[in-house]
Amino acid sequence: MKCFRFVLIGLLLCGLTGCGGGSSSSDGASNEAATSSVTGAAGADGDSDSSGAGAAASGAVAANGTIGFSVLTLKNPFFKIIADTLTAEAEKQGFSVLVNDANLDVDTQAKHLDNYLSQKVTAIVLNPADRIAIGPAIKKANDAGIPVFTCDLQCVSEDAEIAGHVGTDNYAGGRQAGEAMAEVLGEEGGDVLVLHFKQANSCVLRVNGFTDVVNATNEERTEGKINVVAELNGGGLRDVGHNATADALVAYPNLRGIFAINDPSALGARKALEEAGKQDQVRIIGFDGQIEGKQAIKNGEIYADPIQFPDQMAVLTMQNIQKYLDGEEFEKVNLITPKLYKKADADQDPDLK
Amino acid sequence: MKRLFSEYGSVLVFLLLCGYYSVVTWSEQHPTNAAAGRSLAQSIIATHGAQSDTLIIVRDTVADRVFAKAISTELARLGGKVRETVFAKAPVDAGRALRRISPDDPLQAVATHHAGTQWGPLKVERLKRLATQLSLSHVPRVHFPESYMWPSFLTWSNILNVFKNNADIAIIAIGMTMVIITAGIDLSVGSLLALSGVISAVMIQRWWGGEDAGLWGVIAGCLIGAGICALGGTLNGIMVTVCHIPAFVVTLAMMMVARGLALIIAVDYQSFLSGGGTKGTPEAVKIDHQAFGAFSNGELFGIPNPILLTLLLYLLAHILMTNTPVGRYIYAVGGNREAARLSGVPVMLVLIFVYTLCGAFAGLSGVMDASRFEGGRPNAGELYELRVIAAVVVGGTSLAGGEGRIFGTLVGAGIIAIIQNGLNMQGVATYEQMVVFGSLILAAAMIDQLKKSTWALRMFELPQRWIKRPGRRETLQ
Repeated sequence: MKCFRFVLIGLLLCGLTGCGGGSSSSDGASNEAATSSVTGAAGADGDSDSSGAGAAASGAVAANGTIGFSVLTLKNPFFKIIADTLTAEAEKQGFSVLVNDANLDVDTQAKHLDNYLSQKVTAIVLNPADRIAIGPAIKKANDAGIPVFTCDLQCVSEDAEIAGHVGTDNYAGGRQAGEAMAEVLGEEGGDVLVLHFKQANSCVLRVNGFTDVVNATNEERTEGKINVVAELNGGGLRDVGHNATADALVAYPNLRGIFAINDPSALGARKALEEAGKQDQVRIIGFDGQIEGKQAIKNGEIYADPIQFPDQMAVLTMQNIQKYLDGEEFEKVNLITPKLYKKADADQDPDLK
Repeated sequence: MKRLFSEYGSVLVFLLLCGYYSVVTWSEQHPTNAAAGRSLAQSIIATHGAQSDTLIIVRDTVADRVFAKAISTELARLGGKVRETVFAKAPVDAGRALRRISPDDPLQAVATHHAGTQWGPLKVERLKRLATQLSLSHVPRVHFPESYMWPSFLTWSNILNVFKNNADIAIIAIGMTMVIITAGIDLSVGSLLALSGVISAVMIQRWWGGEDAGLWGVIAGCLIGAGICALGGTLNGIMVTVCHIPAFVVTLAMMMVARGLALIIAVDYQSFLSGGGTKGTPEAVKIDHQAFGAFSNGELFGIPNPILLTLLLYLLAHILMTNTPVGRYIYAVGGNREAARLSGVPVMLVLIFVYTLCGAFAGLSGVMDASRFEGGRPNAGELYELRVIAAVVVGGTSLAGGEGRIFGTLVGAGIIAIIQNGLNMQGVATYEQMVVFGSLILAAAMIDQLKKSTWALRMFELPQRWIKRPGRRETLQ
């Protein structure tokens, strides 16, 4: 009778592990397909030269290797676009891509990099979760001879060697936001709130660009100056941005403008304005140009966004990897200038409702 | 059999997981070691004859140098010629080396490894184009070691990675096991880890001169960092015992306070670095000291230091728990605090001791973390408390107190580590597996409950009652 219990527990365990096996069997199959084409190419490579051409052709389709991509966070659509575009682009060029979600944690990201090293990937792409602390993990990849490419966010650790970087010129984007703010506030100027996210250096650059333009504008004016009354943490998130704005509206009732460092926090700010009934008094400048941000611009909820091009970033990164492997020259640091996107642009955008 | 099964249930789950991941990660492996180099040299001689002329192209890394050395020694032994060994920093160097071939002296073979075959200059069509450009009589052939099938999970480097990267969880879990055995809980460990890392980093950078800090300066900085966390633990213990506040509340408060302090120190330090004009950002406090990183990133006898430290601490903790009065006191306090007090166990001191130890282990892990990332991170250790508690519970320690084994926790930490590693190895396409493995953790805990709880017995008696007539109940024990 006692045995019966163990049989039951055993069955339970088998069921669980069976589930696991089942859910991943498709992975296994695709793995197998990839490896079989690798061996095909390798075998033909060893043959005479005439069949070598065929091998190279088939190799170009599937067997160029694996790219490990440690994404900052897949919860933000911006990085999801980078990941999806990179995967599609890489598959076109015959690479397979292993995408991991670092969840904003550099510890998790370092584990991803260690994993890539033991899996001997061809190249590593990452959005550093901490521009300094990721250094030692990148150094390990350098020691193992695997090239590391950064995308959007940069690593500033001096001894870590980065093969190539593609990102947004955030300072220029911040300046565009500052110009848009000066434009929308007009001659009167007024109080302005900045929804910051200081953890990310890219956001620090955006705000620097913004304040530089604001200061320059103020120097030209004797009255109607633009006052940045507060820099609050918007967390880059809808809920944090909402709460920060709601608090700021109480403290600074005469607020006329908000610069939010990305779309989610800008939309959170908009929500708070609507709740306070001040949506006509306060104008918002966002950043990013995610689809919901663009939609909000079309609806007049956000005045303007300097938009980034995450898809171009992924495509350029992939091109850099290909050029690196082919032994060709490429720009080590490639900064894409954002574009100011206003209602007129949104009205012509076919992606929007 | 029941005893065996329940005592080692978590070990069984551990092995099952290892087996599962071995099957899932079964894939092609590309060797780059001395043995692979030797057999590659032999196959080159076999294809091209003893007089063949070979160009070796590898990357500029330690492992590749060994590989290249093995090829050239073996080729020399068999009478073959090595034209040049290229240690390419990037694929572009391989292309340059190949362009140095002259038509008068054409090359027969290029020896490289699997990574090299993925480089453009070594692809067949590029080599052909090169041969036409340089008007060579024939295209050089690329040779690389044969691959073999083996689970990527079961490679030495991966296994070391798994245990090295989770050493901090395992070490904090020692302290947490003791706390949970006394029927307490400590939610502050993750934040204390961050606080310790940041304090150590600032101490070393600011007071002991950063790059020029002597060994003793570094050790003192780390001791202060870990010591402050131990003090935080003591405070937890005093609040729990003297003030009779529930451990959950005390340590929750400590969690917030410690995280806040870590952030404040980091931000103030960054602001100090930038001259005090601007507000700082909560980034890692970089440690410039050269040797500091060696503590976590170095190795002894080929095994990374964190693993050795973990094993040593587990051994010491095991001795403490099984062979000393302190260990027996800890079990006694958890089993029945009132009975322990009446039997003359210094309950207060024992509780303060375990919380202090837990804080100290969190502090030590913080120093390890700072060393691993060469900087103190105020955001380190987020949600560690949950992972540590999961490791302890999966390892068979009862949250109700009085029961648990130190080595059980080690296995529990291993299970948590392997699940995480496995999820990482397969990428994010496998979110559904988290559900499966959550259930697996539950199953592990359930097996361990078998040995004592009555609900499991009752649950498994139910079907028996359906099968047998009701009257048999008396005969079951």
